[in-house]
Amino acid sequence: MCSWAKGVFIALLWGTAATALASPVPEGVETLGRPATDTEVIAWDIDVRPDFLGLPPGSGDVWQGEETWLAQCASCHGDFGDSNEIFAPLVLGNITEDDIETGRVAALQDSAVTRTTLMKVATLSTLWDYIFRAMPWNAPKSLTHDEVYGLVAYLLNLGYVVEDDFVLSDSNIAATQALMPNRNGMSREHGLWSVQGEPDVRGSSCVRDCDVGDGCYFFPARLRDECARQSCRAGPRLGALPRVVDCAKQ
Amino acid sequence: MGTEADQGHLQLAPESFLSTDLINEIQREGIDSGRRTLIRGAIAAATAAIAVPSVRAADDPDIVNLPSWTRSLGKPVVANPYGQPSPFEANIVRRQSPGLTRTDQSSVSFTPLQNLFGMITPSGLHFERHHQGWVDIDPRRHRLMINGLVKTPLVFTMEELLRMPSVSRIHFLECGANTGLEWGNVAVPTVQYTHGMLSASEFTGVPVSLLLERAGIDRQRAKVLLAEGADGSSMTRTINLENALDDALVAYGQNGEMLRPENGYPLRLVVPGVQGVSWVKWLRRLEVGDEPWATKDEAAHYVDMMPDGTHRQYTSIQEAKSVITAPSGGQKLLKHGYYSVTGLAWSGRGTVEKVEVSVDGGRNWRPARVEGPVLPKALTRFQYDWVWQGEETLLQSRVTDSTGYAQPSRAELIGVRGTRSIYHNNAIQTWRVGSDGEVHNVQLG
Repeated sequence: MCSWAKGVFIALLWGTAATALASPVPEGVETLGRPATDTEVIAWDIDVRPDFLGLPPGSGDVWQGEETWLAQCASCHGDFGDSNEIFAPLVLGNITEDDIETGRVAALQDSAVTRTTLMKVATLSTLWDYIFRAMPWNAPKSLTHDEVYGLVAYLLNLGYVVEDDFVLSDSNIAATQALMPNRNGMSREHGLWSVQGEPDVRGSSCVRDCDVGDGCYFFPARLRDECARQSCRAGPRLGALPRVVDCAKQ
Repeated sequence: MGTEADQGHLQLAPESFLSTDLINEIQREGIDSGRRTLIRGAIAAATAAIAVPSVRAADDPDIVNLPSWTRSLGKPVVANPYGQPSPFEANIVRRQSPGLTRTDQSSVSFTPLQNLFGMITPSGLHFERHHQGWVDIDPRRHRLMINGLVKTPLVFTMEELLRMPSVSRIHFLECGANTGLEWGNVAVPTVQYTHGMLSASEFTGVPVSLLLERAGIDRQRAKVLLAEGADGSSMTRTINLENALDDALVAYGQNGEMLRPENGYPLRLVVPGVQGVSWVKWLRRLEVGDEPWATKDEAAHYVDMMPDGTHRQYTSIQEAKSVITAPSGGQKLLKHGYYSVTGLAWSGRGTVEKVEVSVDGGRNWRPARVEGPVLPKALTRFQYDWVWQGEETLLQSRVTDSTGYAQPSRAELIGVRGTRSIYHNNAIQTWRVGSDGEVHNVQLG
């Protein structure tokens, strides 16, 4: 399927979900459960969507964010969000002006570069939502709205996305989303969202004398390159086993 | 006791092959290539340490000398009010992979697939994946809220949920990162670590469709569902509404009893065929929406990296996959002769149509026997008769599901998706049986 047609196909899958029928409610079941009060919904419905639906008003600047960071976050993530001690690094100095311009982090194509959260995440709402709901690690949901705004501002500043004097608020967060370095780096063009989706990989159904090549097996990662270099595919194909040898012994 | 017969044909994987010192070192320093070699050496040493006696008695003393249990009074009822496995089975436990994570709260323990039978995972051996530790919730204080695009936002107590019409269904539960360690290279020695983020249970609960209907779902606008946990992480995931209305459950039962705390007691979401992270544990809220949420676990993690650096977002379905669980990595064949090669097959898109086994690395395939009830989005057990004469063997299994989809080889999978993803590795697994009977995890490259 060519790419535009695939896009339409995916869009259709995302758009038609509600046509499925729900179960009828047996008589009497309507007495189970009660309406939630407004206060209850406010207490639990804390999610923030990519379009910032659900975002509470507030603001915080980079400096306030740094102060909260050092008190609440640095012991796990390091002073600059770059620690690899307990969790994978959140931010390292590998986001470029070009990335911010294009919305694609080029370093993601380089397997030698450590992938950080800020390199991957496309949506600013994700950072706000997650920090507010789950951080700090051992005392989730203890941060104020303004503290979360400040922390997000600090993280963006560590990634060179915003300047030192930046103040993040509910009124400029949508404009700030437009600076997210990997905002164009996500794809929904795949068949793994829906049960009816189209697989991208299909296995062979060959059952006899299948061409599987020869190979080697390897254990330590560093031997993989060596395996390729030494051309493990060499050797006769006699219709029996692929020639499989321990690369380390070649 | 102590005869060769006791050992059987198959020497089980020496599960405790890592010394405490090495585990501590790995947790401190992580796994580098040197330590991979160390781990491998440790397996060899542990295997060698299990001596195989060579003397066969003319008469089996366990037959001719009546043992104590045959000549004494047994224990009374309710000696164990909640039954426990025999102490002889103490080695069959969930295990953490050393070096995989730096915290024990955001971590994984793996199911010992190599030791299990049939298509159901004992609840106590169901793998664990927690994002911020597990909690044990008083069910009298647990609530489920349904809000968003519904006529009336509702709150249910557990007692009310238990009074509603329920269904019980058997489904597999596989973490999207199962076999994720193996994308780049062979990384772990046994099937517990390669495929052990996999389990299957009979789940009992209320269909999500019934609850959404009760709340008055706005069918014109509703497209997705947000599931949220009551634990500290309050894990959230966007669920495809089509899946949710089709066969998702708000489940409280697992294998005939209440869920175990590590598996979400007292309430979890069950989304058959979809990766485990979407089966939100300690479920407190379902919100009906018209756009996905891009939560942390669908924006920073559980996104599938493609060779061009793009991440696939909202990948959810677990495609057809199979694995031979015995003989498998770390085990050793002690004798020539008959073996029943056995394993599991499953598909997130339907039922298992057929399973084939190859003993020559995928060059030739023969049908395996599929056992027991074949249920949609459930584990299916297969067996394959095999006589081993000491030859080097490359064991593989391949499943084809009811949509006609055949499980890909590793080369076919990485040909499309590269090697830098973590998620949705459903490639054919290869176990190499050496002429010495030792079974190793290998990748054909």
